[in-house]
Amino acid sequence: MDVSLFLHYGPSLASGLGVTLLCWAAGAALGVVLGFAIALLRRLPVPPLRWLLRALIEIVRGTPFLVQLYLLYDGGPAIGLRLADIPTGILALGIYGSAYFAEIFRAGFDSVPQGQIEAALSLGLSRGAILWRIRVPTMLVAIVPALTNMLIILSKEVVVLSVIAVPELMYQVQSMAAETFAAFETILALALLYWLMVELVARLGRAAERRATAFLRAA
Amino acid sequence: MTDVAMVEMRGVAKTFGALQVLRDIDLTVQTSEVVCLIGPSGSGKSTLLRCINFLEPYDAGEVRIEGRLIGYTETSPRRPMPHHALQKMRRAIGMVFQHFNLWPHMTALENVAEALVRVRGFSRTDATGRARAMLARVGLAEKEKSYPARLSGGQQQRVAIARSLAMEPRLMLFDEPTSALDPELVGEVLQVMRDLAAEGMTMIVVTHEMGFAASVADRIAFLDHGRIVASGSPRAVLHESEEPRVRQFLQTYHERNSF
Amino acid sequence: MKLQAALDALPYLLSAAGTTLWISLAGIALGQVLGACVLLARTARSPALRRAGAVYVSFFRGVPLLVQLLLIYYFLPYIGIDVPPLVAAIGALGLASGAYVSEIFRGSLAAIPRGQAEAAQALGFSSATVWRRILLPQMLRISTPALVNELILLLKASSLISVVGVTELTRTSHSFAAATYRPFEIYITAALIYLAMNLALAALGAVLERRLAAAG
Repeated sequence: MDVSLFLHYGPSLASGLGVTLLCWAAGAALGVVLGFAIALLRRLPVPPLRWLLRALIEIVRGTPFLVQLYLLYDGGPAIGLRLADIPTGILALGIYGSAYFAEIFRAGFDSVPQGQIEAALSLGLSRGAILWRIRVPTMLVAIVPALTNMLIILSKEVVVLSVIAVPELMYQVQSMAAETFAAFETILALALLYWLMVELVARLGRAAERRATAFLRAA
Repeated sequence: MTDVAMVEMRGVAKTFGALQVLRDIDLTVQTSEVVCLIGPSGSGKSTLLRCINFLEPYDAGEVRIEGRLIGYTETSPRRPMPHHALQKMRRAIGMVFQHFNLWPHMTALENVAEALVRVRGFSRTDATGRARAMLARVGLAEKEKSYPARLSGGQQQRVAIARSLAMEPRLMLFDEPTSALDPELVGEVLQVMRDLAAEGMTMIVVTHEMGFAASVADRIAFLDHGRIVASGSPRAVLHESEEPRVRQFLQTYHERNSF
Repeated sequence: MKLQAALDALPYLLSAAGTTLWISLAGIALGQVLGACVLLARTARSPALRRAGAVYVSFFRGVPLLVQLLLIYYFLPYIGIDVPPLVAAIGALGLASGAYVSEIFRGSLAAIPRGQAEAAQALGFSSATVWRRILLPQMLRISTPALVNELILLLKASSLISVVGVTELTRTSHSFAAATYRPFEIYITAALIYLAMNLALAALGAVLERRLAAAG
């Protein structure tokens, strides 16, 4: 394989990587915010709201991301939703991620021992203070591994956006593959790059977990 | 004010599903009194204690703290009390739990200071100062930067006591405070409680430590199957009671603790 | 919203869903064989084999499935093998699920108390017998819920093989969406079919789990 090819395609690959990182970061941020909001709303003592949110979560988790993406991209305009390709991709990633993040947050909230809440109640802490000072910090520490895992899953879903022509890395690599007739080598290079990226994020996640739980370990 | 009891329970009852865990509880605790609740496990001691600060909502009867009904409005029919009103009443009632329930993500100092900032509205600096003094009082001044996971059970329980005391409660509830501790750590916690009783704190203590009950309590109430079946001075309950359930309980206790 | 388009397409979508289902089943079957091989490699004495097993798992879990799919799609002609997209697709799904399945097997193996195998060895069982009579039956039971879950994940992931031209549920709905100009209704229908299949599989998994738990 010719290294000069990669030099020639350097700018478009770099821009593809930029779009990939943008979609990943923005999609994950949207997913975390939506997921957290859903998890909070599910704690309200309003049964119809709980059923509705539960149903939405099940629908998103029970269907392929690609179908959701098509629904948003092709079906969106039919219900008046017209977005450019990158925002569509980010929105799709955000909605997809929100269902999983909501479940992660829910499990995290459930893992907070009731005794810690009772101690706060007995001291007269308000519901808001209990939520933000006790429940949320304890929950966040417990879910670091699950959050890292979900971030990795989302990073891998970004390549699916190439199907609706979002100019992310995979899309650029495919154009390059088509033009150079060196399809296998270019895709292999992409695979190796992704492998490296995911390993890196996984390692950072483990380091973050060690740091976040340092205080839980006896000396 | 002096003639109003610190705690007054009248006809309190509580069921969990089909199980009646408390029936017709009458109990009055005066200011500066120390009352120990004893009895077999499952007799309802902890539930009774938790009704006093309404962590456990009671179904019938009344619990009054310094004359004020807790958990419900004074209207008829009564409704649950608004959360902020309940919160306000709970500030006067400290509680210490069997499993300490320290917040694991905060240091000892932060555990004690948190409610001072959030509930009492202290500045961070003032709260930290008060928290330091409280930790010193329970003998843990040098542990202020430690997270709960780095403290022994006895130390954690003393931090939990300091956390409650910092709020300047007029009543302290102890729910089996030494039951989760290794035997050699029980003494340090009981000593803190003895000091507190000597200073005149009103205390209600659920405990299996008969020695503590005999020497510190002004009064002992013995529960069995959700009822107070005997109550009186430690001497009257522990040595002179003719009640067969009390005698049976004490006999089992002595057999288990002699060797 | 016009439901007619969705209703007209329904028979075709359902038949395509059948394709999706059997491709996924074929994928996980292959995945179980590969997963077992990878686990054997990872528990082998040879450090090289253990390392190879770990690299396999790390690669196939780290690289997006769509990239793996294209990699195989382009790799086979590259080495002069010409296979239909369907075969390449099942191969890709199997390779990927093999990595996850081996982790499931590894977890269930770790859940069996060590003392059981030691007790069998103390009785003079050969290590093949220990595997066949003691470890595998328990691993199967312990890993059933996770395997059903993996099948559900694979069923959803199989939508990606539409990209390399396999006519399964997603590709069929894509064609109908374009032909009828009713993408919203068609994709909602497709989504509901996926959802129904997954819920049915989850229910089946729950039944299996109870049966196996009862069988003790």
